[in-house]
Amino acid sequence: MITASLNAYILLSVLLFAIGFLGVIVRKNTLAIYISLELMLVASTLALVAFSRYNGTMDGNVFVFFILTVAAAEVAVGLAIIVALFRKRMTVQVDELNALKN
Amino acid sequence: MSPVQQVLAILLLPLASAAIIALFLRRQGAIATAVSVTAAAALAGLSLGLISSGERFTASMEWLQLGGLTISLGFKFDDIAALMLFVVSFVGFFIHLFSTGYMHDDKARARYFGGLSIFMFSMLGIVFSDNLFMMFIFWELVGFSSYLLINHYHEKQSAADASKKAFIVNRVGDFGFLLGIILCYWTYGTVNLTELGAISDAGGLAYSRLIPLLLFCGAVGKSAQMPLQVWLPDAMEGPTPVSALIHAATMVAAGIFMLCRIEVLMVPEALNVIMWVGTITALYAALCAIVQSDIKKVLAYSTLSQLGYMVAAFGLGSMTVDHNGHEMLIAAGVGAAMFHLTTHAFFKALLFLGSGSVIHGCHHEQDIFKMGGLIKKMPVTFITFTLGVLAIIGMPGLAGFFSKDAILLLAHQNNPAVFGILVFTAVLTAFYMVRMWKLVFFGTTRSDNAAHAHESGFSMTLPLMVLAVLAVTGGYMGVYGKLAGSLAGLIPHSEAAHMTILVTSLAVLVVGALGAWFFYKSDDIDTLELKATGVFKTLSVTKVSFDAVYDYYVAKVQQRFAMLINFLEQIFLAGLIIRGFAGLVGLLGLGARALHVGSLHAYVYWFLLGVVLLWALTSGMF
Repeated sequence: MITASLNAYILLSVLLFAIGFLGVIVRKNTLAIYISLELMLVASTLALVAFSRYNGTMDGNVFVFFILTVAAAEVAVGLAIIVALFRKRMTVQVDELNALKN
Repeated sequence: MSPVQQVLAILLLPLASAAIIALFLRRQGAIATAVSVTAAAALAGLSLGLISSGERFTASMEWLQLGGLTISLGFKFDDIAALMLFVVSFVGFFIHLFSTGYMHDDKARARYFGGLSIFMFSMLGIVFSDNLFMMFIFWELVGFSSYLLINHYHEKQSAADASKKAFIVNRVGDFGFLLGIILCYWTYGTVNLTELGAISDAGGLAYSRLIPLLLFCGAVGKSAQMPLQVWLPDAMEGPTPVSALIHAATMVAAGIFMLCRIEVLMVPEALNVIMWVGTITALYAALCAIVQSDIKKVLAYSTLSQLGYMVAAFGLGSMTVDHNGHEMLIAAGVGAAMFHLTTHAFFKALLFLGSGSVIHGCHHEQDIFKMGGLIKKMPVTFITFTLGVLAIIGMPGLAGFFSKDAILLLAHQNNPAVFGILVFTAVLTAFYMVRMWKLVFFGTTRSDNAAHAHESGFSMTLPLMVLAVLAVTGGYMGVYGKLAGSLAGLIPHSEAAHMTILVTSLAVLVVGALGAWFFYKSDDIDTLELKATGVFKTLSVTKVSFDAVYDYYVAKVQQRFAMLINFLEQIFLAGLIIRGFAGLVGLLGLGARALHVGSLHAYVYWFLLGVVLLWALTSGMF
């Protein structure tokens, strides 16, 4: 059985997090930003699972279950907001959603 | 009713009257008058019952407990309080009665009578107080009611100014009084008069000159002694019955009453100061009175002068160093001061009400050089006023004779210099009183207002007659002894010096009275001004000099100091501290606002920056 080292998991996690963050920064579409955010969240859960496995305890796994549950609820609310926003403004491009400032 | 309930009723009746008038009757002058006069009559009746019942007691209850400091409210009803209660309630009632006539056509009658009631409440509070804190509370309340009543004709600028002056000048004295009370508490742990007396009897009083002198400051303000005498002559802007009640008979005497209350705290040095303050005030005021042309101002200066006599009488108990003799002399000082306070309340209230009757009759003419010849037009006023004049100048057989002689005797025994000044003051008293009396009632009528003078109504002449009876009989032991109880026994007597004093005071009376009678002519210009312009001018300058000094002090010294303080306050407090902090917070807000650009990506960059900073912080880069 091939067992990857902890560093490999962490590296993958950091990579995923960086890709997600880059996505948040460069994309203008709210949905794309949202997907990128979820990617960052998943990257951090991956790190937690890796640590849990490495330490041989269940703490990290418990965290992961919590995070997944909360993330599911959060996605439901977040998508609903985006849909409502689109119905109201007919756009989900973030650079056009600046009513609070101007 | 138990005695305590009686005292409570006496104290609260005028307060209730004042509250009812202030809340419901401000437009109903007639009803307000009835309420106030009824309250005054009821409390006078209750007071007479209480005084004659012979009940003397103390009672107190705890009012406030602030840490270790307990402030209590209580009554100390002893012989001094009983005497003072009689003066306040009895004279007060007749002045209420007089006011119904005098103020009949006044538009603001309700306010006036409400003011009288609140004054009666405050004054009775001073009389009953068993501790200095409570006395101070009522002390301030009489100051307030005095302010209210001086300011009755508030549309007149001079009245408004006079009321403010009275209030502020009193505040100066009261500051010393308050310091004295605090120092007394600090030193002895109590301000209760009975407890202070007990400490003194046990010989436990520290030898403090500061406490009595600071407390005396209160009396200097309230009883208008030098150098705070300036407010009393101006206070004559108030209605004449107010001048009679507050600025002649009762409130200004409160200072002397307070001194008699705290006699156990006195030490010879303090008494010496008190004696000289009183003596100088008596002389100064008598000199000023000679050149006054306003009938009320003459009486005001005469009041100042007589108050000076009382203060001097109190202070004269200082001259013996021997401990036992010293105790006895203080008691004699108290006896003489309270005796003169009582007789003075009678005859000075009479004189003021008489002048009120004259002013009312002459259609509010107050200049004595525009009166004259009123003897036929106002016979009742003339007779009663004459009795008042004779009483104040010390005609043998009248009240003022006995009390003034008691003071002169005390001075004769203790201090020749004070005796000389007081005798000279007595000459002046006879001189200016007879001057005024002659100019008002004799000779030719010198103005239209005086020509159309008429006798006042019964509500005004009745108080005059009653007070005239008291001004005649008040000095006899049959009357005063009943009122004053044990205090009457403290009046100084001396068989040896009796003849000296009698001859002196008779000589004084004859010289002063005849001098004025033959010197002044019935003319509309002051004879003194015509014949001795220099003397007249000197006296006039003496009169205004104090006001000039205070004006200079306030306008030049105090005002500039205030400007400097204001300047510093503007720079440091308002500028640097208050505006400085506000500006700093505003600047931070400006910076924080700049971060808020409205673009989601910018916020993510801030987030990134935050993460990097956090990481740098945890990794120990800073």
